[in-house]
Amino acid sequence: MMKLEVSQIEQGEGAVRVKLDGVVNIQTAVGLRRQLKPMLSKKNSNIHIDLSGVGFIDSAGLATLVEGLQWSRAAEGRRFVLSGLSDNVRDIFELAKLDAVFEIEQGNAA
Amino acid sequence: MSDSANQLSCNLNSSCDCVHVLSSMVEVVGHRVGLSDKLTNRMVLAVDEMFANIAQHSYHGHEGKVDMSACWRDDELSFELRDYAEPLMADEMLAWPVPDAAGELKPGGLGMHLMRAVMDKIEHEALADGNRWRLTKYLHGEQHDEA
Repeated sequence: MMKLEVSQIEQGEGAVRVKLDGVVNIQTAVGLRRQLKPMLSKKNSNIHIDLSGVGFIDSAGLATLVEGLQWSRAAEGRRFVLSGLSDNVRDIFELAKLDAVFEIEQGNAA
Repeated sequence: MSDSANQLSCNLNSSCDCVHVLSSMVEVVGHRVGLSDKLTNRMVLAVDEMFANIAQHSYHGHEGKVDMSACWRDDELSFELRDYAEPLMADEMLAWPVPDAAGELKPGGLGMHLMRAVMDKIEHEALADGNRWRLTKYLHGEQHDEA
C-alpha cells in the first residue's frame, strides 16, 4: 500500500514547514490536499514543503502543490517554497514545465 | 497477473489503491528491459496518469475493470490499458494543450501533457464495450543507460 506521511512544524510568525514522506499520487493527493488546505490561510505567510522523502509524484500531486502556488500569488508577501527534490521528482517537475514556476530551493534530496 | 517471455499482464479495478500494483509492474518491466532509473520512473508516471484518466474520465470515480498489459521487443515498449466503460471521445483529450508556464496556472490537463511528454505514441480505440489505450515508447540504446 502506498502511503504519504505529512508532518507539520509551526515555525512562528506565519511560517510552516511541511515534510512529506512517501508517494504523492492519485491515491494520496486527496489526503495531502485536505491537510494543506487549512495552512493556506491568511494567518500563514510562508509555507515550506520539504519533498526530500518523496520518491514519486504525479499530476494529482503536482495539482495539489499548484494550489499552494496559487495561494502564494494571491497576496503580497506570501511564499510557497519547495525543497529536497530527488532527481526523479525534479524530472517530473521539468516535464510538467513547473520547475521554473515554483520557488525551488537548490540541492537534491539526501 | 500473467507473465511470458516479453509480456506481463494483470487484471485490476479502477480503485485508486490499485495504482501501486501498476507502478510495481511497470518497475519490473523497466528492469527487465534494462531501462535507466529515470526512464523507468517516466514509464511509471505515464501508466499512472493513464490509469488516473480511466478512473476519473471513463468510470467517473466508480469502480470498474481495468486490464493492463506490457509488451516489449528490441526497439519498442508498449503498455495497453483496457476499460469497460462508455467509449470516450478521446480526440479532445489527446489534443489538450501543453501547459504554458508563463500563462495562468491550471492544474487540469496536466496528466495528458505528461503522458505525451514521456511516450512517443498514445493511441485510443473506442470499443463496443469500452476503451483501449496504448502507450508506446521507442527504445534506443542510449535510453538503457541515460534517458
